[in-house]
Amino acid sequence: MSVPSSMRIGPLVPTILLKKRYITFYFAIVWISFIPIFLELWVYWQFLWNYERPIHFYTFLPLLVIPMYITLVFSATFIAKLFYWIVNAIHKPRTGVFLRHPSDKDFRYWCIRNVIKKWPFWLSHRFPFPFMNNFLYKMFGVKTRISNSLFEGWVDTEFIEFGKNVVVGQGAIVMSSMIVGNLLIVKKTRIDDEVRIGSHAIIMPGTHIKRRSVLAANSVTVVDQTLDEGYIYVGVPAKELKRNYFFEDGLQDKLGQVEDVEALRERYEEMYLKRVDAKEKESFLERRKEKKRTKAQE
Amino acid sequence: MTIEGKAENFTESEESEDSEEEPVREEVRMQYVLYMILFFIIYYISWIGPSFILISYFVIIFRTYFLDAPTFLAIFTELNPLLALFLMPLVLILAYLVRMFFIGLSTRIIWGITEKISPSKSGIIPRNIKSKAADFYHIRSFVLKYGKSIFTKGALPWLSKWFYNFVKSAKIGKGTTIEESLVNDKFMTVGKNCYFGVNSSLSSHVVEGIFGNISYFEVKAGDNVTFAAFNSLGPGTEVHDNSFLLPLASVQKHVTIGKEGEKNFGYYFGMPARKIFKKKINEFIGLSPEQLEINENMEEYLSQIKEKKLKSKEKKSKKNKEEKVKESQETTESNEEEHKVEEPIDINSLTKEDLAIDFTTSSAISRVNLKFLAVYFPIFWLSGLLVAMFWYENTRWLNLTTVFFLPVALFAMIYIFVFAVLFFSKLFLIFLNLLHQPREGVFIAEIGDKDYEFWMMRTELKKIALWFFRNTPLPWLDVIAFRWFGIRMDFTSHLNDAWCDAEFVDFGRNCLVGQGATVMSSMVVGKYLIIKRVIFDDFVLVGGQSTIAPGTIIEHDGFIGALSTTTYNQVLEPEWIYFGIPAIKLKKNKYGSTRRDVITRRSVDDETKVEEITEVHVDEDKRKFVKTGDSEE
Repeated sequence: MSVPSSMRIGPLVPTILLKKRYITFYFAIVWISFIPIFLELWVYWQFLWNYERPIHFYTFLPLLVIPMYITLVFSATFIAKLFYWIVNAIHKPRTGVFLRHPSDKDFRYWCIRNVIKKWPFWLSHRFPFPFMNNFLYKMFGVKTRISNSLFEGWVDTEFIEFGKNVVVGQGAIVMSSMIVGNLLIVKKTRIDDEVRIGSHAIIMPGTHIKRRSVLAANSVTVVDQTLDEGYIYVGVPAKELKRNYFFEDGLQDKLGQVEDVEALRERYEEMYLKRVDAKEKESFLERRKEKKRTKAQE
Repeated sequence: MTIEGKAENFTESEESEDSEEEPVREEVRMQYVLYMILFFIIYYISWIGPSFILISYFVIIFRTYFLDAPTFLAIFTELNPLLALFLMPLVLILAYLVRMFFIGLSTRIIWGITEKISPSKSGIIPRNIKSKAADFYHIRSFVLKYGKSIFTKGALPWLSKWFYNFVKSAKIGKGTTIEESLVNDKFMTVGKNCYFGVNSSLSSHVVEGIFGNISYFEVKAGDNVTFAAFNSLGPGTEVHDNSFLLPLASVQKHVTIGKEGEKNFGYYFGMPARKIFKKKINEFIGLSPEQLEINENMEEYLSQIKEKKLKSKEKKSKKNKEEKVKESQETTESNEEEHKVEEPIDINSLTKEDLAIDFTTSSAISRVNLKFLAVYFPIFWLSGLLVAMFWYENTRWLNLTTVFFLPVALFAMIYIFVFAVLFFSKLFLIFLNLLHQPREGVFIAEIGDKDYEFWMMRTELKKIALWFFRNTPLPWLDVIAFRWFGIRMDFTSHLNDAWCDAEFVDFGRNCLVGQGATVMSSMVVGKYLIIKRVIFDDFVLVGGQSTIAPGTIIEHDGFIGALSTTTYNQVLEPEWIYFGIPAIKLKKNKYGSTRRDVITRRSVDDETKVEEITEVHVDEDKRKFVKTGDSEE
C-alpha cells in the first residue's frame, strides 16, 4: 500500500550511463518540457494578479498545481517520444544477447533509450495517482490495459506484452532485459490475461506466463520459461504446485476455514484490548503527575 | 529512528551452549533530539543556497520580464521575456544541483565527525546494551538516510554513486552502476565496472533479534561483478572478481564467493546461492557454451570482431537473416502449444488440498478510477489552501529574512500540507466506514462486490496520505498516519522501509519490520480477495524482503528470516527463528545468551566453513554482560 521511503519503485529504467555525453539528452528533455508550464503560469498570472497580492490568486493556486504537473508530464513525454523515434530510426531495438561493452551498438542504443525514457517515467511516477504511468507504458511501446496494476513493482519499459487484469505484486520485478556478466540478455516477455504475480517475485526475460496462472511470492522464473495455463507456480526456479481452482465461482465459503487459529486470534484480541487501550487511557496529565511525584521523592 | 538492514538472517550457527541466564533486556533507546538537530542542519544548509538563487531570479528577472509581459505574443517577439522564460528551467536545474551538492557536503562533514569519535569497525555490536559504538552506528545511519532518499529518489539517480563516494560511506569504483535499492549505502567497497541490479542489496549490517546483535562487517565486491536483480548479501561477504549472481542469488553472513586472485567467471543461483555450471546455465538463462566463452574472453572476441569487420561486411547481414528465421520458427512453435482444450471443473469434487491456500500472492490490485478525482480534488484543494494561506502571510514583507527563513517555511509548508491531507482523508474515511463497515472475510475481487469496492476506496484514500508521508523529509512519521487509520501500533515499533496495509494489522511493543518487507492483511487469490488480520506480538522481528500473508500470527520473540514468506493463517511459535518459502522452523531464538564473538566464514565454491573470533564493540564497563570467549576463562 505504501511504498518504502527510500525507493521510488516503478518502471524499471536502468541507470547505466555508458558515456557521459548521453546525459545531454536528459537535460535537453528536462529543459524543453518545462517551457509549457511557465506559459500556463503566465496566463494564470495575467488573469488573477490584478493588484498587489490578491487573495484570489492564492485561493486557486492549489488547483493550478495539478494541471501544471500533468502538462509537464505530457510535454516531457512528447519530447522524449520525438527523441525516441529518431534514435529508433537510426538503430532499431531488437532482442538477443549482446555484449555489455561500449563497442556493442545494441547495448549503446539500449542505454540511450533508457536515458531518454527516464525523465517522463520519473515524472509520471512521482505523481501520486497511477493514471499517467499506464499512458506512458503505452506511449513507449508496452502493450497494456488500464485494468492492469503494475505500479508497485519494477516493470521493464520495452519488449513486454500484458494481457488484461494482470496484478503485479509489491516489489516484484518483471524484466525483459538482464545483465549477466559481460552480456546483456534482451528477450520478449509475455504475460497473458488474469495472471497474478506475487510480491517480490522475479520474472526473467523471455518468460511466457499463460492465462490465469499464478507466480507465488519470492519465486523466480528462468529465461524462456513457460508457465502453463491455470497452474500455480512456486519456488526458485518456479515449479508447478497445483491447479489454480481459484477462478471458479462459489468458493467464498470454502476458502480459509480454520478453527484453531480463530481461537488464538480471539485470545490476542483480548490481550490487545488490555495492553494497547489501557495504555492510551492513562492520560497525559496523570503521567505528568507521576513524573512530578517521582521527582519530589528524589 | 534508524533503519537497520536485515538482509540475511538465516544463519545456522553451530554453537549449542545452553545457558539458563536471561539475556539483558535493556530498552533500545535512540537519541531522537540529536537526530533531529543533525537533520535540521543538513536540511537548512541544503536549502539556503537554492532559495537565494530561486527567489532572486523570480523577483528580479522572471516576474518583471516574463510574468508581467503585456501580451502573449510579446513573450515570443521580444528578447527579454523570451530569455527569462528559457533561462528559468536552467535556473531550476542549477538550484537542484546546488541543493544536491550541499546535502552531500553537510552529510560528509557530520559523517566525518562521527567517524572521528567512533570509527566504524567490523565487529558485533550488542543491541540490548547501550554503548558508544551502537549510538554512533545509529546516528550514522540516520544522517545518511536523508541524503540517500533524496539522491536515489531524485531526478538524477546517477548522482547517488557520487554521494556515497563523497560522504565516504562507501567506496564505489569507476564504471559501476547501482540501481535503486534499500541498502547499498555504507561500509562497502566495490570495484570497477560492476552492475548492481534493481533492489539488490549488499548490507553491511544485520539486526539479529530485538535483544540480540547488530552484525556490522564490511562488504567487499571485486571488479566486474554483476548482481542481476534482488540479490541480498549479508555482512562480511566478499565477492571476488568476475562473479555473476543471477536474480535472487543470496547468501548469509561471512560468505566468500569466488576465489581471490583468480579469474573466476562463476555463475551463482538460488537461495542460499550455489555455483552452477554449463548445463544449468543453459537451462536457467539460456546461454550457450559459445556465449559463455565470449563472456569470459570478451577482449579477444572484440579484437576478432574487428578483424572480421575489416574482412567482410556481407557475412553479417546473412547472419542477421538466419537469426530472424530462427525467431520466426520459435514463435510458430509456441503458437501450437497454446491450443489446449479446457476441461470443465466441478466445484464440489474439489478436495481440501486443492483449495488450501499454501502459497502467497500479493494485494497490489489498484484499479484507480478517474472518478476518484472527485474525492482527491477537495482533499488537495483544502490542504493546498492552508499552505497558500501560510505562504501569503509569510511573504507579506519580502526581504532578506524571508530568504533565510525559507528552509524553515518550506518544512512547515510540507508538514501543514501532509497533515491536512491526513486529516481530510480521515474525514472521508469515517464517512465511508459509516456507509459500509470494513470486515474480514473472503470476497469476490470484481466490480459489483460491495466489500471489494469499499476496500478499494479505503485503500486509495489511505494511500494518498501515506504516499505523502513517505515522501516527506521525515518519512518515519508515517506511524502517525498508520495509527490514525486504525492500526494498533506504538512508537517503539517501526516499519520504515516496508509496505504495510493500513488496516487489520496489530503490532506489539518493540517490533521491527525489515527493509522492503511486505505486510499484507489482504491478498488477491484468483478472483477472490481475502482480508484477514495480521498480528505481531511483542519483540517480533521480520527480515528484509520477506512477505507476510494475511492471517499470520507471530508470537512474542518470533523471528522471520530475510526473503521468506509466511502462508495464509500461519502461526509462528514464540522464540523461534523461521526461514524459507513458506517459512519453517530453523532454530531457537537465543538472543544474547550465546557467545557473541564467534562467526562462521564459509565459501560457496568449496563449501567449506571456518570459525573465527571477532571483536565485540561494547563500552568497557558493560563488557561483563556480554558472553565472549574471554569471560569463560
